[in-house]
Amino acid sequence: MPTDTAMAFHAEGVTKVYADGLRANDALDLRIAPGEVFGLLGPNGAGKSTLVKQIIGLLKPTEGTLRIGEHDLVAHPEIARQLCSYLPQAQMPIDSFKAAEAIELTGRIRGGDRATVRARTDALLEALDITQWRDELGMKLSGGVKRLVGFAMATVLPGRLVILDEPTNDVDPLRRRLLWEQVRRLGDEGCAVMLVTHNVLEAEKSVDRLAVIMDGKIVAEGTPSALKAADRGQLRLQVMLSPGVETPESPEWVRHPVRVGNNLVATIDEDAASAGIDWAVGLMGQGTAEEYALGATTLEDVYIRLTGHASANGEDEA
Amino acid sequence: MTTTATLAPVSLELRTGPRHWWAGFRSMITWHLVSLRLWLVLLAVVQVLSGVGFVLGFGLFFEQIPLSVALFVSTGVPVVNLVMTGMVLGPQLVADQKASHSFDFIHSLPVPHTASAAAWYVVCLIGGLPAVAVSLAVAVWRYDGLPLAVTPDVAPALLLTAFTGTMVGLAVAHAITSPMVTRLVTQVLVFAMFAFTPILFPVEQMPAWLGAVNSALPLRHMADMVRASLTDLPFENLATSYAVVGAWGLVCAVLAVRALGRRR
Ligand SMILES: Nc1ncnc2c1ncn2[C@@H]1O[C@H](COP(=O)(O)OP(=O)(O)OP(=O)(O)O)[C@@H](O)[C@H]1O
Ligand SMILES: [Mg+2]
Repeated sequence: MPTDTAMAFHAEGVTKVYADGLRANDALDLRIAPGEVFGLLGPNGAGKSTLVKQIIGLLKPTEGTLRIGEHDLVAHPEIARQLCSYLPQAQMPIDSFKAAEAIELTGRIRGGDRATVRARTDALLEALDITQWRDELGMKLSGGVKRLVGFAMATVLPGRLVILDEPTNDVDPLRRRLLWEQVRRLGDEGCAVMLVTHNVLEAEKSVDRLAVIMDGKIVAEGTPSALKAADRGQLRLQVMLSPGVETPESPEWVRHPVRVGNNLVATIDEDAASAGIDWAVGLMGQGTAEEYALGATTLEDVYIRLTGHASANGEDEA
Repeated sequence: MTTTATLAPVSLELRTGPRHWWAGFRSMITWHLVSLRLWLVLLAVVQVLSGVGFVLGFGLFFEQIPLSVALFVSTGVPVVNLVMTGMVLGPQLVADQKASHSFDFIHSLPVPHTASAAAWYVVCLIGGLPAVAVSLAVAVWRYDGLPLAVTPDVAPALLLTAFTGTMVGLAVAHAITSPMVTRLVTQVLVFAMFAFTPILFPVEQMPAWLGAVNSALPLRHMADMVRASLTDLPFENLATSYAVVGAWGLVCAVLAVRALGRRR
């Protein structure tokens, strides 16, 4: 499909104030071009799903505009539902559907003809390595497989904008990789993809651009390498603390220390590398730490610096 | 696996008009039917208990059941069968989906809300009409000489009864935002249908004020319509019955479709 820049997705000044007064989105501006995979990152409660639900017409923006090309998605939710396809963060209602049946039926509802939809369903089942469950009822599927079936439902006949709200939740690392490949492919075929995820390291490999959102505001936006540019000349110091110890005081030059479980992650200047090693070795000598690692900074470190949070699955493939 | 097969067939055209509506309507019938797959056994049991069960059960109250009573019960039971799926099971299903937020996906499908509601109506007919046939057949078999007199009015009577039952159910499911309240209302409806509505017994047997309340509600009129179409018993205000049931159906349909399109 030719990339058709006239059909880019635009959000301008999108603000959502819930009935209880909570400002979940605060004047968000975004643009996603056809063919672009755009990552939306941010800690729990940042307002990611709120944004997504306004695009697909589940919520109405308090202020602001959402468009795909000339189409006003806020004024015409019925057009939004045709132009966008959507994988919600919540479970899919497919307990009584067989996996392949759910995917095919979604394709038919989205206006696909039988042959195309069937071929695409088989291809997706194969590509995600879930063919063995094609005739299994949704209620019997494991969480991860159900998620993958949901992904296939959302992309069997993708819209101009494909919205994926945490597609890799519960999915094992190998199939997660297969899923990212399919996401990449959607972009290659001209879809604009909005990808909500907590998995910073995996997102880094798959997205063209990303935005980090915090308390309803965008705190950073750009390509992964542009976002990492600010961290040039920095190193990541990771200290594995002994179970149960209190987080040790860190010297001033150890920046943005964040503890997740027993893992303490921080950034230091390249110049401070040997001081960092000495500090970590000292902690090990006191029995406070068990091991350490010093390496290049990743998008994860940028994310931690911006949000003060570690990303959800960022470490579990390391 | 060929590379071409994995190519995503991106939908480029905006679809509008009657053909789009019809395609959505047809595919949503399948969607709704499949959604009910796990409930099918429960639905069948409920339909049999509330249909055949009442037809046979009433006979046990009498040593020799008067044919007029048998006729009354047998021609009331179809109403129960017809509204069971749409008014009772449907709202429970939607309440479950809303409570688990899995309704979000259904809501994001590119189908006109009217097409989705119409498809659900067809599914409720599919869930009700066979039960009506079975209940009537059992009544004829059990009660010798039951003076059934099926008239052509049976078509509009059954269709309108199912329509209004379904639309009341859709309104309860969607116009009420809290799934808990939806469940509660549904349970009250079932209870009221059996205990406080003159479907299975004549309105003269309830207190006058309760009869008056029922005259403003659709169930009693549904029973009159259906009974008139299945017997040659005289009914004076059939036109009123059709008007009341039709009005309830329309108002609830409008409420339901508007609620389906409402964004918080
Ligand atoms: N229906 C609602 N009514 C009121 N507040 C809500 C509603 N839905 C979400 N919120 C609040 O809005 C904020 C943003 O929620 P949202 O679901 O958009 O976050 P998120 O970024 O998707 O988080 P997560 O990563 O946990 O999915 C949260 O504080 C949440 O509690
Ligand atoms: Mg979310």
